[in-house]
Amino acid sequence: MAGGVAVSIGIWELVSATGLANAQALASVSATAAAIGEHAGSLASAAGQTIEAWAAGLAIATAGGVSLGTLAGRSAVAEASTETLVRMMRPLPSLALIPIAILVAGLGLKMTAGLVAFTSFWPIFINTRYGVHQVGRLFLETARTLQMGRATLLGRVVLPAAAPLVASGLQVAVSLALVVTVSVELVGGTGGIGTYVLDAQQGNAVADMYAGIVVGGFVGWALNRGFAELARRVLPWANRLEAAS
Amino acid sequence: MIALAGRPVRWRRVGLWLLGWAGLGVAALAWQLAASLSHSALVPTFASAAAYAWHLLTGPVLSADLLPSVARVLVGFGISAAIGITVGLLVGYYRSPREWTAAVFDFFRSLPTPLLIPVALVLFGLGGTMVVAVIVSAAVWPVLINTANATAGLEPIVVDTARSLGLRGPRLLARVILPAVSPQIFAGLRVAISVSLAVLVVAEILGGGSGIGYYIENAQQSFQITGSYAGVLVLCLLGWMADSLFLLAERRLLAWQRGVVGGGDA
Repeated sequence: MAGGVAVSIGIWELVSATGLANAQALASVSATAAAIGEHAGSLASAAGQTIEAWAAGLAIATAGGVSLGTLAGRSAVAEASTETLVRMMRPLPSLALIPIAILVAGLGLKMTAGLVAFTSFWPIFINTRYGVHQVGRLFLETARTLQMGRATLLGRVVLPAAAPLVASGLQVAVSLALVVTVSVELVGGTGGIGTYVLDAQQGNAVADMYAGIVVGGFVGWALNRGFAELARRVLPWANRLEAAS
Repeated sequence: MIALAGRPVRWRRVGLWLLGWAGLGVAALAWQLAASLSHSALVPTFASAAAYAWHLLTGPVLSADLLPSVARVLVGFGISAAIGITVGLLVGYYRSPREWTAAVFDFFRSLPTPLLIPVALVLFGLGGTMVVAVIVSAAVWPVLINTANATAGLEPIVVDTARSLGLRGPRLLARVILPAVSPQIFAGLRVAISVSLAVLVVAEILGGGSGIGYYIENAQQSFQITGSYAGVLVLCLLGWMADSLFLLAERRLLAWQRGVVGGGDA
Protein backbone atom coordinates (compact mmCIF):
# COMPACT_ATOMS: atom_id res chain seq x y z
CA MET A 1 0.00 0.00 0.00
CA ALA A 2 2.72 2.41 0.98
CA GLY A 3 4.51 1.28 -2.16
CA GLY A 4 1.64 2.47 -4.34
CA VAL A 5 1.67 5.87 -2.67
CA ALA A 6 5.44 6.16 -3.10
CA VAL A 7 5.21 5.24 -6.79
CA SER A 8 2.46 7.81 -7.39
CA ILE A 9 4.45 10.52 -5.69
CA GLY A 10 7.44 9.45 -7.77
CA ILE A 11 5.41 9.74 -10.97
CA TRP A 12 4.15 13.14 -9.90
CA GLU A 13 7.71 14.36 -9.27
CA LEU A 14 8.93 12.86 -12.54
CA VAL A 15 6.18 14.50 -14.60
CA SER A 16 6.83 17.91 -13.10
CA ALA A 17 10.65 17.58 -13.25
CA THR A 18 10.75 16.50 -16.90
CA GLY A 19 8.43 19.34 -17.86
CA LEU A 20 5.89 16.96 -19.37
CA ALA A 21 3.17 19.09 -17.87
CA ASN A 22 3.02 22.84 -18.06
CA ALA A 23 4.84 24.35 -15.05
CA GLN A 24 1.85 26.67 -14.65
CA ALA A 25 -0.34 23.61 -14.12
CA LEU A 26 1.78 21.30 -12.02
CA ALA A 27 4.01 22.11 -9.05
CA SER A 28 6.73 19.70 -8.01
CA VAL A 29 6.29 17.53 -4.95
CA SER A 30 8.96 19.39 -3.01
CA ALA A 31 7.49 22.80 -3.87
CA THR A 32 4.05 21.60 -2.77
CA ALA A 33 5.44 20.21 0.47
CA ALA A 34 7.28 23.47 1.09
CA ALA A 35 4.08 25.42 0.45
CA ILE A 36 2.18 23.24 2.91
CA GLY A 37 4.86 23.87 5.54
CA GLU A 38 5.03 27.57 4.86
CA HIS A 39 1.30 28.22 4.91
CA ALA A 40 0.37 25.60 7.51
CA GLY A 41 -1.48 28.19 9.58
CA SER A 42 -3.71 29.57 6.87
CA LEU A 43 -4.29 26.10 5.42
CA ALA A 44 -5.40 24.82 8.80
CA SER A 45 -7.79 27.70 9.32
CA ALA A 46 -9.17 27.24 5.78
CA ALA A 47 -9.69 23.54 6.48
CA GLY A 48 -11.37 24.45 9.75
CA GLN A 49 -13.80 26.77 8.00
CA THR A 50 -14.63 24.10 5.46
CA ILE A 51 -15.22 21.47 8.13
CA GLU A 52 -17.39 23.85 10.14
CA ALA A 53 -19.79 24.47 7.26
CA TRP A 54 -19.70 20.78 6.35
CA ALA A 55 -20.59 19.66 9.87
CA ALA A 56 -23.40 22.20 10.32
CA GLY A 57 -25.05 21.27 7.03
CA LEU A 58 -24.64 17.55 7.52
CA ALA A 59 -26.13 17.66 11.01
CA ILE A 60 -29.29 19.35 9.73
CA ALA A 61 -29.52 16.94 6.79
CA THR A 62 -29.13 13.91 9.04
CA ALA A 63 -31.84 15.00 11.45
CA GLY A 64 -34.25 15.81 8.63
CA GLY A 65 -33.37 12.90 6.36
CA VAL A 66 -33.61 10.19 8.99
CA SER A 67 -36.86 11.41 10.53
CA LEU A 68 -38.69 12.15 7.27
CA GLY A 69 -37.27 9.05 5.63
CA THR A 70 -38.59 6.90 8.46
CA LEU A 71 -42.04 8.44 8.09
CA ALA A 72 -42.07 7.96 4.32
CA GLY A 73 -40.75 4.41 4.54
CA ARG A 74 -43.46 3.27 6.93
CA SER A 75 -46.30 3.99 4.54
CA ALA A 76 -46.70 2.86 0.94
CA VAL A 77 -48.68 6.00 0.07
CA ALA A 78 -46.06 8.35 1.51
CA GLU A 79 -43.37 6.42 -0.30
CA ALA A 80 -45.14 6.59 -3.65
CA SER A 81 -45.97 10.26 -3.36
CA THR A 82 -42.37 11.22 -2.69
CA GLU A 83 -41.06 9.04 -5.52
CA THR A 84 -41.11 11.47 -8.47
CA LEU A 85 -39.75 14.29 -6.34
CA VAL A 86 -36.90 12.09 -5.22
CA ARG A 87 -36.20 11.00 -8.78
CA MET A 88 -35.83 14.64 -9.79
CA MET A 89 -33.72 15.58 -6.80
CA ARG A 90 -31.55 12.47 -6.76
CA PRO A 91 -29.46 13.45 -9.79
CA LEU A 92 -28.47 16.33 -7.57
CA PRO A 93 -28.79 19.54 -9.52
CA SER A 94 -28.44 21.21 -6.13
CA LEU A 95 -25.09 22.71 -7.01
CA ALA A 96 -26.98 24.76 -9.60
CA LEU A 97 -28.71 26.45 -6.68
CA ILE A 98 -25.45 28.11 -5.60
CA PRO A 99 -26.01 31.35 -7.56
CA ILE A 100 -29.61 31.56 -6.29
CA ALA A 101 -28.61 30.77 -2.71
CA ILE A 102 -25.96 33.49 -2.82
CA LEU A 103 -28.55 36.02 -3.95
CA VAL A 104 -31.30 34.94 -1.57
CA ALA A 105 -29.29 34.19 1.59
CA GLY A 106 -26.13 36.21 1.00
CA LEU A 107 -22.61 34.92 1.41
CA GLY A 108 -21.81 33.25 4.68
CA LEU A 109 -21.83 30.17 6.83
CA LYS A 110 -25.63 30.05 6.99
CA MET A 111 -26.00 29.92 3.23
CA THR A 112 -23.27 27.31 2.82
CA ALA A 113 -24.65 25.13 5.58
CA GLY A 114 -28.18 25.49 4.22
CA LEU A 115 -27.17 24.39 0.76
CA VAL A 116 -25.09 21.54 2.15
CA ALA A 117 -28.09 20.46 4.23
CA PHE A 118 -30.45 20.59 1.25
CA THR A 119 -28.13 18.54 -0.95
CA SER A 120 -27.10 15.89 1.54
CA PHE A 121 -30.68 15.50 2.74
CA TRP A 122 -31.57 13.44 -0.36
CA PRO A 123 -29.24 10.45 -0.09
CA ILE A 124 -30.01 10.17 3.63
CA PHE A 125 -33.75 10.44 3.02
CA ILE A 126 -33.71 7.97 0.11
CA ASN A 127 -31.70 5.36 1.95
CA THR A 128 -33.65 5.68 5.19
CA ARG A 129 -36.92 5.41 3.30
CA TYR A 130 -35.70 2.33 1.51
CA GLY A 131 -34.13 0.84 4.63
CA VAL A 132 -37.32 1.23 6.65
CA HIS A 133 -39.41 -0.03 3.75
CA GLN A 134 -37.46 -3.26 3.35
CA VAL A 135 -37.46 -4.33 6.98
CA GLY A 136 -38.35 -8.00 6.75
CA ARG A 137 -41.95 -9.00 7.23
CA LEU A 138 -40.72 -11.75 9.51
CA PHE A 139 -39.23 -9.16 11.84
CA LEU A 140 -42.40 -7.10 11.89
CA GLU A 141 -44.70 -10.06 12.44
CA THR A 142 -42.51 -11.44 15.17
CA ALA A 143 -42.57 -8.05 16.87
CA ARG A 144 -46.35 -8.00 16.54
CA THR A 145 -46.75 -11.39 18.17
CA LEU A 146 -44.55 -10.11 20.97
CA GLN A 147 -47.08 -7.28 21.27
CA MET A 148 -44.60 -4.48 20.95
CA GLY A 149 -45.91 -0.92 21.02
CA ARG A 150 -45.31 1.39 18.06
CA ALA A 151 -42.45 3.27 19.71
CA THR A 152 -40.71 0.10 20.83
CA LEU A 153 -41.19 -1.40 17.39
CA LEU A 154 -39.58 1.65 15.81
CA GLY A 155 -36.71 1.89 18.26
CA ARG A 156 -35.96 -1.78 18.78
CA VAL A 157 -36.79 -3.36 15.42
CA VAL A 158 -37.30 -0.99 12.49
CA LEU A 159 -34.45 1.47 13.03
CA PRO A 160 -31.79 -1.11 13.93
CA ALA A 161 -32.78 -3.18 10.90
CA ALA A 162 -32.70 -0.10 8.66
CA ALA A 163 -29.49 1.25 10.18
CA PRO A 164 -27.02 -0.35 7.74
CA LEU A 165 -28.81 1.29 4.79
CA VAL A 166 -29.12 4.57 6.67
CA ALA A 167 -25.39 4.38 7.31
CA SER A 168 -24.61 3.89 3.63
CA GLY A 169 -26.79 6.90 2.83
CA LEU A 170 -24.84 8.88 5.40
CA GLN A 171 -21.58 7.68 3.89
CA VAL A 172 -22.66 9.16 0.55
CA ALA A 173 -23.80 12.34 2.28
CA VAL A 174 -20.46 12.75 4.06
CA SER A 175 -18.55 13.12 0.79
CA LEU A 176 -21.37 14.89 -1.04
CA ALA A 177 -21.55 17.53 1.70
CA LEU A 178 -17.85 18.20 1.30
CA VAL A 179 -18.23 18.57 -2.48
CA VAL A 180 -21.01 21.11 -1.96
CA THR A 181 -19.06 23.01 0.71
CA VAL A 182 -16.01 23.28 -1.51
CA SER A 183 -18.10 24.25 -4.54
CA VAL A 184 -19.78 27.09 -2.66
CA GLU A 185 -16.36 28.25 -1.50
CA LEU A 186 -15.08 28.18 -5.07
CA VAL A 187 -18.03 30.06 -6.55
CA GLY A 188 -18.80 32.41 -3.69
CA GLY A 189 -15.30 33.06 -2.36
CA THR A 190 -16.54 32.54 1.19
CA GLY A 191 -13.27 31.27 2.61
CA GLY A 192 -12.24 27.71 3.32
CA ILE A 193 -10.22 25.32 1.19
CA GLY A 194 -12.13 26.03 -2.04
CA THR A 195 -11.43 29.75 -1.89
CA TYR A 196 -7.84 29.04 -0.89
CA VAL A 197 -7.24 26.95 -4.02
CA LEU A 198 -8.98 29.39 -6.37
CA ASP A 199 -7.12 32.38 -4.91
CA ALA A 200 -3.82 30.55 -5.32
CA GLN A 201 -4.63 29.78 -8.94
CA GLN A 202 -5.61 33.35 -9.70
CA GLY A 203 -2.44 34.58 -8.02
CA ASN A 204 -0.37 32.15 -10.11
CA ALA A 205 0.87 30.44 -6.95
CA VAL A 206 0.90 26.93 -8.40
CA ALA A 207 2.56 25.25 -5.41
CA ASP A 208 0.06 26.92 -3.11
CA MET A 209 -2.80 25.66 -5.24
CA TYR A 210 -1.52 22.09 -4.94
CA ALA A 211 -0.99 22.55 -1.21
CA GLY A 212 -4.69 23.41 -0.92
CA ILE A 213 -5.72 20.45 -3.08
CA VAL A 214 -3.62 18.00 -1.06
CA VAL A 215 -4.99 19.33 2.23
CA GLY A 216 -8.53 19.17 0.82
CA GLY A 217 -7.92 15.59 -0.24
CA PHE A 218 -6.73 14.64 3.21
CA VAL A 219 -9.71 16.35 4.83
CA GLY A 220 -12.02 14.34 2.57
CA TRP A 221 -10.13 11.16 3.22
CA ALA A 222 -10.16 11.65 6.99
CA LEU A 223 -13.88 12.46 7.10
CA ASN A 224 -14.76 9.44 4.94
CA ARG A 225 -12.54 7.07 6.83
CA GLY A 226 -13.67 8.47 10.16
CA PHE A 227 -17.29 7.90 9.31
CA ALA A 228 -16.72 4.38 7.98
CA GLU A 229 -14.87 3.47 11.15
CA LEU A 230 -17.60 5.01 13.32
CA ALA A 231 -20.29 3.09 11.45
CA ARG A 232 -18.36 -0.14 11.90
CA ARG A 233 -18.11 0.42 15.65
CA VAL A 234 -21.67 1.61 16.21
CA LEU A 235 -23.32 -0.89 13.88
CA PRO A 236 -21.42 -4.15 14.33
CA TRP A 237 -24.40 -6.01 12.88
CA ALA A 238 -24.32 -4.12 9.57
CA ASN A 239 -22.02 -6.53 7.75
CA ARG A 240 -23.79 -9.58 9.04
CA LEU A 241 -27.16 -8.27 7.91
CA GLU A 242 -25.87 -7.39 4.47
CA ALA A 243 -24.41 -10.84 4.14
CA ALA A 244 -27.70 -12.40 5.21
CA SER A 245 -30.02 -10.48 2.93
CA MET B 1 -49.15 -17.30 -12.76
CA ILE B 2 -47.42 -14.16 -13.84
CA ALA B 3 -49.98 -13.51 -16.55
CA LEU B 4 -52.85 -13.90 -14.07
CA ALA B 5 -51.31 -11.57 -11.55
CA GLY B 6 -50.51 -9.02 -14.25
CA ARG B 7 -53.60 -6.92 -14.21
CA PRO B 8 -54.07 -5.86 -10.61
CA VAL B 9 -50.33 -5.36 -10.28
CA ARG B 10 -50.32 -3.09 -13.30
CA TRP B 11 -53.19 -0.98 -11.96
CA ARG B 12 -51.49 -0.70 -8.65
CA ARG B 13 -48.35 0.50 -10.37
CA VAL B 14 -50.27 3.11 -12.33
CA GLY B 15 -51.81 4.31 -9.07
CA LEU B 16 -48.45 4.61 -7.38
CA TRP B 17 -47.03 6.38 -10.41
CA LEU B 18 -49.88 8.92 -10.36
CA LEU B 19 -49.30 9.42 -6.67
CA GLY B 20 -45.68 10.24 -7.42
CA TRP B 21 -46.68 13.01 -9.80
CA ALA B 22 -49.28 14.24 -7.33
CA GLY B 23 -46.51 14.55 -4.75
CA LEU B 24 -44.51 16.63 -7.19
CA GLY B 25 -47.60 18.76 -7.83
CA VAL B 26 -48.00 19.42 -4.12
CA ALA B 27 -44.36 20.52 -3.90
CA ALA B 28 -44.87 22.90 -6.85
CA LEU B 29 -48.03 24.25 -5.25
CA ALA B 30 -46.21 24.85 -1.97
CA TRP B 31 -43.54 26.80 -3.85
CA GLN B 32 -46.21 28.81 -5.67
CA LEU B 33 -48.00 29.68 -2.41
CA ALA B 34 -44.81 30.52 -0.52
CA ALA B 35 -43.61 32.76 -3.35
CA SER B 36 -46.84 34.64 -3.79
CA LEU B 37 -47.23 35.12 -0.03
CA SER B 38 -43.67 36.36 0.47
CA HIS B 39 -43.80 38.95 -2.36
CA SER B 40 -40.04 38.74 -2.56
CA ALA B 41 -38.29 39.81 -5.74
CA LEU B 42 -35.78 37.06 -5.09
CA VAL B 43 -38.29 34.22 -5.19
CA PRO B 44 -40.43 34.06 -8.34
CA THR B 45 -43.56 31.93 -8.36
CA PHE B 46 -43.41 28.40 -9.67
CA ALA B 47 -45.66 29.36 -12.57
CA SER B 48 -43.38 32.14 -13.78
CA ALA B 49 -40.27 29.98 -13.35
CA ALA B 50 -41.90 27.15 -15.28
CA ALA B 51 -43.01 29.52 -18.04
CA TYR B 52 -39.49 30.88 -18.26
CA ALA B 53 -38.12 27.32 -18.37
CA TRP B 54 -40.39 26.60 -21.33
CA HIS B 55 -39.04 29.73 -22.97
CA LEU B 56 -35.49 28.38 -22.42
CA LEU B 57 -36.36 25.02 -23.90
CA THR B 58 -37.88 26.54 -27.04
CA GLY B 59 -35.68 29.61 -27.50
CA PRO B 60 -32.10 30.24 -28.58
CA VAL B 61 -30.77 29.18 -25.17
CA LEU B 62 -31.45 25.59 -26.19
CA SER B 63 -28.69 25.49 -28.78
CA ALA B 64 -26.46 28.10 -27.15
CA ASP B 65 -26.26 26.62 -23.66
CA LEU B 66 -28.39 23.55 -23.17
CA LEU B 67 -27.14 21.32 -25.97
CA PRO B 68 -23.46 22.07 -25.25
CA SER B 69 -24.07 21.02 -21.65
CA VAL B 70 -25.76 17.80 -22.72
CA ALA B 71 -22.87 17.04 -25.08
CA ARG B 72 -20.30 17.68 -22.32
CA VAL B 73 -22.13 15.39 -19.93
CA LEU B 74 -22.41 12.64 -22.54
CA VAL B 75 -18.73 12.83 -23.49
CA GLY B 76 -17.54 13.10 -19.89
CA PHE B 77 -19.80 10.31 -18.75
CA GLY B 78 -18.76 8.09 -21.67
CA ILE B 79 -15.06 8.55 -20.97
CA SER B 80 -15.60 7.96 -17.25
CA ALA B 81 -17.55 4.77 -17.95
CA ALA B 82 -14.90 3.42 -20.34
CA ILE B 83 -11.98 4.17 -17.99
CA GLY B 84 -13.86 3.17 -14.85
CA ILE B 85 -15.03 -0.21 -16.14
CA THR B 86 -11.70 -1.14 -17.74
CA VAL B 87 -9.51 -0.14 -14.83
CA GLY B 88 -12.07 -1.45 -12.34
CA LEU B 89 -12.06 -4.91 -13.96
CA LEU B 90 -8.26 -5.04 -14.04
CA VAL B 91 -7.81 -3.81 -10.52
CA GLY B 92 -10.58 -6.04 -9.25
CA TYR B 93 -9.35 -9.17 -11.00
CA TYR B 94 -5.64 -8.97 -10.23
CA ARG B 95 -4.69 -8.74 -6.66
CA SER B 96 -1.35 -6.98 -6.78
CA PRO B 97 -2.47 -3.89 -8.76
CA ARG B 98 -5.38 -3.70 -6.36
CA GLU B 99 -3.11 -3.57 -3.36
CA TRP B 100 -0.79 -1.09 -5.03
CA THR B 101 -3.51 1.31 -6.05
CA ALA B 102 -5.83 1.03 -3.05
CA ALA B 103 -4.48 3.94 -1.02
CA VAL B 104 -4.05 6.22 -4.03
CA PHE B 105 -7.56 5.54 -5.35
CA ASP B 106 -8.92 6.02 -1.86
CA PHE B 107 -7.33 9.45 -1.71
CA PHE B 108 -8.59 10.60 -5.10
CA ARG B 109 -12.04 9.26 -4.45
CA SER B 110 -12.22 11.24 -1.21
CA LEU B 111 -10.81 14.40 -2.75
CA PRO B 112 -13.69 16.84 -3.29
CA THR B 113 -13.21 17.07 -7.07
CA PRO B 114 -14.39 20.65 -7.58
CA LEU B 115 -11.01 21.53 -6.05
CA LEU B 116 -9.49 20.33 -9.33
CA ILE B 117 -11.42 22.91 -11.37
CA PRO B 118 -8.68 25.55 -10.93
CA VAL B 119 -6.12 23.02 -12.22
CA ALA B 120 -8.35 22.20 -15.19
CA LEU B 121 -8.68 25.93 -15.86
CA VAL B 122 -4.89 26.26 -16.04
CA LEU B 123 -4.52 23.17 -18.21
CA PHE B 124 -7.39 23.64 -20.65
CA GLY B 125 -8.50 27.24 -20.33
CA LEU B 126 -12.16 28.23 -20.51
CA GLY B 127 -14.63 26.07 -22.37
CA GLY B 128 -15.86 22.60 -23.12
CA THR B 129 -12.63 20.60 -22.79
CA MET B 130 -12.10 21.91 -19.28
CA VAL B 131 -15.65 20.98 -18.30
CA VAL B 132 -15.31 17.48 -19.73
CA ALA B 133 -12.01 16.98 -17.88
CA VAL B 134 -13.63 18.01 -14.61
CA ILE B 135 -16.57 15.66 -15.21
CA VAL B 136 -14.22 12.74 -15.86
CA SER B 137 -12.14 13.50 -12.77
CA ALA B 138 -15.27 13.21 -10.66
CA ALA B 139 -17.44 10.60 -12.42
CA VAL B 140 -14.80 7.96 -13.01
CA TRP B 141 -14.58 7.03 -9.31
CA PRO B 142 -18.03 5.60 -8.60
CA VAL B 143 -17.75 3.40 -11.72
CA LEU B 144 -14.20 2.30 -11.00
CA ILE B 145 -14.75 1.55 -7.33
CA ASN B 146 -18.02 -0.32 -7.90
CA THR B 147 -16.56 -2.40 -10.72
CA ALA B 148 -13.40 -3.21 -8.78
CA ASN B 149 -15.26 -4.15 -5.59
CA ALA B 150 -17.72 -6.35 -7.45
CA THR B 151 -14.97 -8.09 -9.43
CA ALA B 152 -12.82 -8.63 -6.38
CA GLY B 153 -15.85 -9.94 -4.50
CA LEU B 154 -16.80 -12.56 -7.09
CA GLU B 155 -17.15 -16.06 -5.66
CA PRO B 156 -13.90 -17.82 -6.55
CA ILE B 157 -15.94 -20.87 -7.47
CA VAL B 158 -17.61 -18.96 -10.32
CA VAL B 159 -14.31 -18.06 -11.94
CA ASP B 160 -12.77 -21.45 -11.17
CA THR B 161 -15.70 -23.32 -12.69
CA ALA B 162 -15.52 -21.23 -15.85
CA ARG B 163 -11.77 -21.81 -16.03
CA SER B 164 -12.09 -25.54 -15.64
CA LEU B 165 -14.63 -25.48 -18.46
CA GLY B 166 -11.94 -23.97 -20.61
CA LEU B 167 -12.92 -20.31 -20.62
CA ARG B 168 -9.91 -18.02 -20.64
CA GLY B 169 -8.97 -14.42 -21.25
CA PRO B 170 -11.46 -12.24 -23.13
CA ARG B 171 -14.09 -14.97 -23.28
CA LEU B 172 -13.96 -15.50 -19.54
CA LEU B 173 -14.32 -11.76 -19.15
CA ALA B 174 -17.22 -11.38 -21.58
CA ARG B 175 -19.15 -14.52 -20.68
CA VAL B 176 -18.71 -14.78 -16.93
CA ILE B 177 -17.14 -11.84 -15.16
CA LEU B 178 -18.81 -8.95 -16.92
CA PRO B 179 -22.35 -10.37 -16.62
CA ALA B 180 -21.74 -11.26 -12.98
CA VAL B 181 -20.64 -7.76 -12.00
CA SER B 182 -22.97 -5.83 -14.33
CA PRO B 183 -25.55 -4.93 -11.66
CA GLN B 184 -22.89 -3.20 -9.58
CA ILE B 185 -21.46 -1.52 -12.67
CA PHE B 186 -24.92 -0.16 -13.41
CA ALA B 187 -25.26 1.10 -9.85
CA GLY B 188 -21.94 2.88 -10.25
CA LEU B 189 -22.93 4.33 -13.62
CA ARG B 190 -26.15 5.67 -12.15
CA VAL B 191 -24.21 7.53 -9.47
CA ALA B 192 -21.78 8.72 -12.14
CA ILE B 193 -24.61 10.38 -14.10
CA SER B 194 -25.66 12.37 -11.04
CA VAL B 195 -22.08 13.32 -10.31
CA SER B 196 -21.53 14.37 -13.94
CA LEU B 197 -24.51 16.72 -13.88
CA ALA B 198 -23.47 18.17 -10.54
CA VAL B 199 -19.87 19.02 -11.36
CA LEU B 200 -20.90 20.12 -14.86
CA VAL B 201 -22.72 23.04 -13.30
CA VAL B 202 -19.89 24.13 -11.01
CA ALA B 203 -17.32 23.84 -13.79
CA GLU B 204 -19.51 25.88 -16.12
CA ILE B 205 -20.11 28.53 -13.49
CA LEU B 206 -16.39 28.91 -12.95
CA GLY B 207 -15.34 28.87 -16.59
CA GLY B 208 -17.55 27.06 -19.04
CA GLY B 209 -17.90 29.99 -21.43
CA SER B 210 -21.34 28.57 -22.24
CA GLY B 211 -23.69 25.92 -20.91
CA ILE B 212 -26.54 25.69 -18.47
CA GLY B 213 -24.37 26.43 -15.43
CA TYR B 214 -22.96 29.48 -17.18
CA TYR B 215 -26.50 30.55 -18.04
CA ILE B 216 -27.73 30.19 -14.44
CA GLU B 217 -24.80 32.21 -13.12
CA ASN B 218 -25.17 34.84 -15.82
CA ALA B 219 -28.88 35.26 -15.22
CA GLN B 220 -28.19 35.80 -11.53
CA GLN B 221 -25.48 38.38 -12.22
CA SER B 222 -27.75 40.33 -14.55
CA PHE B 223 -30.60 40.23 -11.99
CA GLN B 224 -32.77 37.96 -14.10
CA ILE B 225 -33.38 35.77 -11.11
CA THR B 226 -36.35 34.04 -12.72
CA GLY B 227 -33.94 32.88 -15.41
CA SER B 228 -31.73 31.24 -12.79
CA TYR B 229 -34.68 29.38 -11.30
CA ALA B 230 -35.79 28.34 -14.77
CA GLY B 231 -32.30 27.02 -15.45
CA VAL B 232 -32.44 24.92 -12.30
CA LEU B 233 -35.85 23.56 -13.34
CA VAL B 234 -34.49 22.62 -16.76
CA LEU B 235 -31.59 20.89 -15.07
CA CYS B 236 -33.98 18.96 -12.80
CA LEU B 237 -35.81 17.83 -15.90
CA LEU B 238 -32.56 16.82 -17.56
CA GLY B 239 -31.49 14.83 -14.52
CA TRP B 240 -34.83 13.12 -14.32
CA MET B 241 -34.73 12.22 -18.00
CA ALA B 242 -31.21 10.83 -17.69
CA ASP B 243 -32.14 8.80 -14.64
CA SER B 244 -35.32 7.45 -16.27
CA LEU B 245 -33.56 6.47 -19.48
CA PHE B 246 -30.96 4.82 -17.37
CA LEU B 247 -33.42 2.76 -15.36
CA LEU B 248 -35.11 1.73 -18.59
CA ALA B 249 -31.81 0.59 -20.07
CA GLU B 250 -30.96 -1.26 -16.89
CA ARG B 251 -34.31 -3.06 -16.89
CA ARG B 252 -33.79 -4.08 -20.51
CA LEU B 253 -30.17 -5.11 -20.27
CA LEU B 254 -30.35 -6.79 -16.91
CA ALA B 255 -33.77 -8.40 -17.33
CA TRP B 256 -32.23 -11.88 -17.28
CA GLN B 257 -30.72 -11.13 -13.96
CA ARG B 258 -33.89 -10.63 -11.95
CA GLY B 259 -34.88 -14.27 -11.94
CA VAL B 260 -31.36 -15.45 -11.19
CA VAL B 261 -30.79 -13.34 -8.14
CA GLY B 262 -34.35 -13.78 -6.97
CA GLY B 263 -35.03 -10.11 -6.31
CA GLY B 264 -38.67 -10.30 -7.36
CA ASP B 265 -39.85 -7.52 -5.07
CA ALA B 266 -37.84 -4.74 -6.67
